[in-house]
Amino acid sequence: MRDKILVALILVLFVLLLAGLFYTQIIRFGYYSTLSKNNSIRIIPIDGPRGNIYDRNGALLVTNRLSFDAAVIYRELDDRTRLVTVLRQTLGMSGKEIADALERAGSRPYAPVTIVEDIPKEKAIRLEEASFDISGLLIQTRSKRSYIYKETGSHLLGYLSEITEEELESLKDYGYKMRDMIGRSGIEKYYDTSLAGIDGGIQVEVDSRGRQTRVIGLKEPQSGKDVYLTIDIALQETCDKLLGEHKGAVIVMDPNTGEILALASHPSFDPNLFVTPNTSAERRRLLTDNAGRPLSNRAISGLYPPGSVFKIVTASAALETKKITPLTEFICTGVYRIGRAKLACWKKEGHGPQNVRSGLMNSCNVFFCNTGRAAGVDALESYAKLFGYGAYTGIDLPDEVKGIAPGKQWKKMRMGGAWYEGETANYAIGQGYLAVTPMQVLDSMSVMANKKGLVKPYLVKRIDKTDTPSGKINSIGLHAGTVNTIRGGLLDVVNDENGTGKRAKVEGLIVAGKTGTAQNPHGKTHAWFAGFAPYDNARICIVVFLEQGGHGGLEPAEIGHGIFEEAKTKGYFDIRS
Amino acid sequence: MTDKRLFKNFDKTLLVVTFLIFIIGLATIHSATQAKDLSFNDSYVLKQINSMAIGIILLIIIIKISYQRFIDLSYILYLINIGLLALVLVLGHVRLGAQRWFSIGGFAFQPSEFIKLNLILALSCYVGTKKDSMKNFTNLIIPCILLAVPFVLVLLQPDLGTALLLLPIFFSILLVSGVEYKYLIGMLVLGLSAMPVFWHFLREYQRQRLLVFINPNVDPLGAGYTIIQSKIAVGSGGLFGKGWLAGTQNQLNFLPERHTDFIFSVIGEEWGYFGAIVVIFLYFFIIQRALIIASQTSDAYGRAIATGIASMLAVQVVINISMTIGLMPVVGIPLPMISYGGSSLITTLVAVGFLLNVGMRRSTF
Repeated sequence: MRDKILVALILVLFVLLLAGLFYTQIIRFGYYSTLSKNNSIRIIPIDGPRGNIYDRNGALLVTNRLSFDAAVIYRELDDRTRLVTVLRQTLGMSGKEIADALERAGSRPYAPVTIVEDIPKEKAIRLEEASFDISGLLIQTRSKRSYIYKETGSHLLGYLSEITEEELESLKDYGYKMRDMIGRSGIEKYYDTSLAGIDGGIQVEVDSRGRQTRVIGLKEPQSGKDVYLTIDIALQETCDKLLGEHKGAVIVMDPNTGEILALASHPSFDPNLFVTPNTSAERRRLLTDNAGRPLSNRAISGLYPPGSVFKIVTASAALETKKITPLTEFICTGVYRIGRAKLACWKKEGHGPQNVRSGLMNSCNVFFCNTGRAAGVDALESYAKLFGYGAYTGIDLPDEVKGIAPGKQWKKMRMGGAWYEGETANYAIGQGYLAVTPMQVLDSMSVMANKKGLVKPYLVKRIDKTDTPSGKINSIGLHAGTVNTIRGGLLDVVNDENGTGKRAKVEGLIVAGKTGTAQNPHGKTHAWFAGFAPYDNARICIVVFLEQGGHGGLEPAEIGHGIFEEAKTKGYFDIRS
Repeated sequence: MTDKRLFKNFDKTLLVVTFLIFIIGLATIHSATQAKDLSFNDSYVLKQINSMAIGIILLIIIIKISYQRFIDLSYILYLINIGLLALVLVLGHVRLGAQRWFSIGGFAFQPSEFIKLNLILALSCYVGTKKDSMKNFTNLIIPCILLAVPFVLVLLQPDLGTALLLLPIFFSILLVSGVEYKYLIGMLVLGLSAMPVFWHFLREYQRQRLLVFINPNVDPLGAGYTIIQSKIAVGSGGLFGKGWLAGTQNQLNFLPERHTDFIFSVIGEEWGYFGAIVVIFLYFFIIQRALIIASQTSDAYGRAIATGIASMLAVQVVINISMTIGLMPVVGIPLPMISYGGSSLITTLVAVGFLLNVGMRRSTF
């Protein structure tokens, strides 16, 4: 009995199904058949514009502009010769270009296929007028990304390009679809889900000539969220200008919060190139220039030996583990010997007796080789990590690398050998296996600027109406005595007559810092300057890195000077209540 | 384990019809995907054949082992499946959103597909053990829990279609196991009145799909567009269809998801009402056989399994086809043996394996 009920229920369902199909396929056949023949339902997409990007003072950095595209619905073309003539006259297209474009349009004969992108406005208007007489030709508007400051800050802002098929496969559940533009680097990539708008569209019924007869439905597009950066575009422009033709990176940060005020990496690129068509040659150059690597953000993705800027860590390690005191002296004769190996100080005739403070000021290699060996490799490793080396700083940018803060264990795993004393001496002066990003050097310098600890650098202050939590300092637990001793050395670097970084000195402002000149097996030395100002209550902490840039005390210190000078005129050091 | 006598009751026709439907499926998948212009090695047809091979191996294994062994293991299988569902959910959260898939050795599978069968086995195990005492109200508690846990987990996947499919499985097994009508109706009423609660569980796009069913103009570009285009495809097929590979809606890319959930619209367009009737008849034949096996089995376990599978297949076919002509909301249920997709194909073959298994062993008890 009970199984009969089930049979009956299933039978009823199947009969209903057959009835439904009968209604759709037999009774309504005529109606659907016409709809199918004309293919009269069409979707006209409306872009959901991407959110704007602003700087900390509300200056517009990235926005959208209207672009005009010419599209063709292949099946509706009636007067081809006229179309060819019009395209040739207004846009100066060659016969072959037009033929290619029409072939593309032929592959999807019922849908509008874009044949020319981004037409100048006046020409678009001329074409629009012509399209009244040419059925099948239409002018469509689309919003395109526009980077107002072009090359300035391009690495931190990033760029967009069309979504690839693999990405689409994994992202379609989140509302991405074919031909969507997706962030490729920088803020555009990291905050893509916030910035991206949701596209809408109108569904219309058209007659056989392609004219709209009825709007069937409308889905309102939604614009993406606006993003407000911690960047000061004026300062950013200064940094980009000062970097000029150099290869390298400059970062400016508030050492108390981690707010990034400027971040530049050179060589730079114009993100607009990825938006406008007909720039593919220049685009290809950007993507394939392996020597200059213009798309790589050196500030966070480049790894280099830190050289003498690392001596802050060596000094901290030795002072904290009480292997030296602020008064401990080592005598520099111009050369340091370990067994049969020799390590030369940069000053041939030697610095004579040196303590931590003078050792920092003179950047004496002999002093720090002694100090580093006194502390030992294990202490160097743990203090390097304490200062943030070998780990992500956590900045809100994609493609950050964490570099290497080596140690005995690391060497055994990677190189499969014991640690040598000579390597400790090299470690102490920031050479050897150490590999760091400019961002890490900046973060380690911020410890001396805020006298307390590391900050997590960040670039976004506010998304739409929601403020991001402001940064705080994570103490790394150094003794006040250690910090004061090292800070004294950093003060002398810039302000003493013999300091290696005296070119960074600014009138009416007390600057402190450290230079670095790192040996580079591939060529000329890398040059560093990291510093902060004012000496008490530091407001700004900077790093300047020049790839194969020679001596840290020369151009990097001068660039540092330029940035502090500019920040001063911008009022960054004014006493704030 | 297997002796020759067992095959006296082996239902060859059931197997042949299943293969026939699969062949129709292959032809349709080929038609639906040929516009993508893939080489045979990358084609959906080849991938479907690969899944078929795995399915056949599983089917043979299942026929060889008495279904009683599976009943013995049913709670363990059920718990493992629940664990996998929970795991998918956790991993899915890590990846920010919808994640129904597991990928093992490049082969993606959906635990929510297999829960249908494991629920059937677990429920069958329970009602088979209780036999006549299923009349007691207290014996309904465990089956309700067996249903509720996977139902919520699958709903959160989010996979509305599969979650809904669990309901007819549940009710049909309880029906044939002798639960009193007043309790069945009571549960049905309770379930319906709990709908607003479940609405709360649904993701935005699932709500959208249900709303679109009531009014396709809510989302004319997404789900609404699919329904309209699918109706045009099926409707314009007429009595005999436009012919294989000749459906304009299909070939001109107007039909989204046409090789998976909306594959019936390709059949409707290219083979017309006539082809649709043939396909529906073939399904009905399988379901009919399943119900016959259920009624001829004296063993309560076997009867429950066959009934559960019959209603699972029936409801899947009815909902899927109704979806394509706008009779039911788009809930994402594949058409058994025809839609492209390994998990669904394998599950259906395993289900057919169980039917054959119960069928050939019914006289030995």
